Amino acid sequence: MSSAAATTAPMIEVDAASKWFGDVVAVSDVSFAIGPGVTALLGPNGAGKSTLLRMLCGLTPPDRGAVRILGADPRTDLAVRRRLSIVPQQEAMFEAYSALRFVRLAAVLNGVADPDAVARHALRVVELDPDDPRSTTTYSKGMKQRVKVAQALVNDPAVMVLDEPLTGLDPRQRNHLIDLFGRLGAEGRCVIVSSHVLDEVERFGSRILVVAQGRLAATGDFHAIRNLMDDRPHRIRVRTDRPRELATEVMRSVGVQAVELEPEAPGRPGGFVVETTDAPRFRRAIATASQDVAASLLEVTPLDDDLDSVFRYLVGR
Amino acid sequence: MTATDPSAPPPAPVRASRRHDLDDVLRAEYRLLLRSVCTPGRIVALGALAGISLLTAVATRLGTLADPLADAVGYVNANVATLIPVAMLVLGAATLGDLIEDGSMVYLWLRPVPTWIHVLAAWMATVTVGIPLVLAPVLLGTAIVHVDGVLLVSAAVAGLVAIAAYAALFVAAGIRFRRALPWGLVYILIWEGFVASAGKTATKLAIRSYVRSILTSLTDVELKLADFSLGVGVIVPLLAGLAALAYASRRLARTDVA
Repeated sequence: MSSAAATTAPMIEVDAASKWFGDVVAVSDVSFAIGPGVTALLGPNGAGKSTLLRMLCGLTPPDRGAVRILGADPRTDLAVRRRLSIVPQQEAMFEAYSALRFVRLAAVLNGVADPDAVARHALRVVELDPDDPRSTTTYSKGMKQRVKVAQALVNDPAVMVLDEPLTGLDPRQRNHLIDLFGRLGAEGRCVIVSSHVLDEVERFGSRILVVAQGRLAATGDFHAIRNLMDDRPHRIRVRTDRPRELATEVMRSVGVQAVELEPEAPGRPGGFVVETTDAPRFRRAIATASQDVAASLLEVTPLDDDLDSVFRYLVGR
Repeated sequence: MTATDPSAPPPAPVRASRRHDLDDVLRAEYRLLLRSVCTPGRIVALGALAGISLLTAVATRLGTLADPLADAVGYVNANVATLIPVAMLVLGAATLGDLIEDGSMVYLWLRPVPTWIHVLAAWMATVTVGIPLVLAPVLLGTAIVHVDGVLLVSAAVAGLVAIAAYAALFVAAGIRFRRALPWGLVYILIWEGFVASAGKTATKLAIRSYVRSILTSLTDVELKLADFSLGVGVIVPLLAGLAALAYASRRLARTDVA
């Protein structure tokens, strides 16, 4: 894919976009810009993720603000749609069409010169048999998801919008598609994926957009976001052969707000959980403190540096 | 497509010419919509209505025929007023309306294709199904009532104009209204069947009046409120259909797609 890789400007730009349905505000004053690679869109149900994705594709216009895809308005610019594709959330496809026919139609509508070959290739990419004559109505949810991904590949898109593409897939296919999205992003495409399964999203990469109650709660690398959340103390578990002594020592460290002892159990050494507002400083302090009390450090693990914790903090859950 | 599959060399998606694109797209969408609109339920329901129409023709033939030509024109007129618009409503509203309803419209809408192509394909599919499903039985019924060359030609012209106009109108209704069937029935039964029959001004706003005028002009059989010339009777419904298709294209371009 050369065209997308050559692009240096943001491939998706959202500028103060808002969307409401009657009295309900679905998306409120959202702004962001993203470039090549995979970006995960996170948010609880009803947060406005699907509305935001639909706006990105031009399927619904923002009531206020603007959305630009590759510098153009996807709502009105037909040319940009050649370089844009979507995997929608809804399951409905064209009844009575086989997977090949469905994907081939997508290729024809995109003006692809050899739609049959491209459709077959796309189906093989998602590990489906192009010669399966059955209608897609007989397919499992996971197979339908893969057909939807295949139809989104046929136009060699620079921007791919994927709304919950992993729903209904078995673990092997989930891994396969996560790898595929990663490769598409690495090729220079802008891939935006919404999901509510956080451990899967974590595997897409660390770049996230978090939407809560229609607003953009955070954007960027989730590790960096976590570090910026100063009002939330970091929780760090320490396991050692002298927990009580070491806990007493670290209480003197700057930024430590609380220490909770965890008693020794069969097969598990004792330890404690520290809440601190300055995690890097605590990591330095714990090394010194362990030397001071002659304790062996067996484990120092952050408990809330994962995406799940960041997400829960941001959406207030 | 690129190296997303390690096992197969990806074919290059070379773009064809724009003209070639649109021909292929129209053909592909026409086939899709033709197939999706022909559900067994619709075929059986409309086939049953056509069967009732044929039974009416047989009953008319078996009854006392003072003026067979007038009776045959009356038969065509009745079908132009009921069977054809109802069939076109059921088919036309469903072609794109069903896709909008179930969300699969996104697979047509989000392509580099102007919306008039979707609308034209829907209209073509509706007309294609309507001709064998309702016009053919009406012509057969007409022949059962009275065999006459001019009568059959006038029935065919009137039927084709009615199918073309109603198909356009109800394709547009399928895009405009979430529940197009009740709205369409209100138009057919209340507006065209009642309000537009009230006087000469109101009748100008009913397709039925123009189609009726075609029958009168070609057969010289008088029908109530059939006062337009043959040219007006043919051109106005077709222009109304064209306007409906233009509106449908504009509406589809601006609609929210699920």
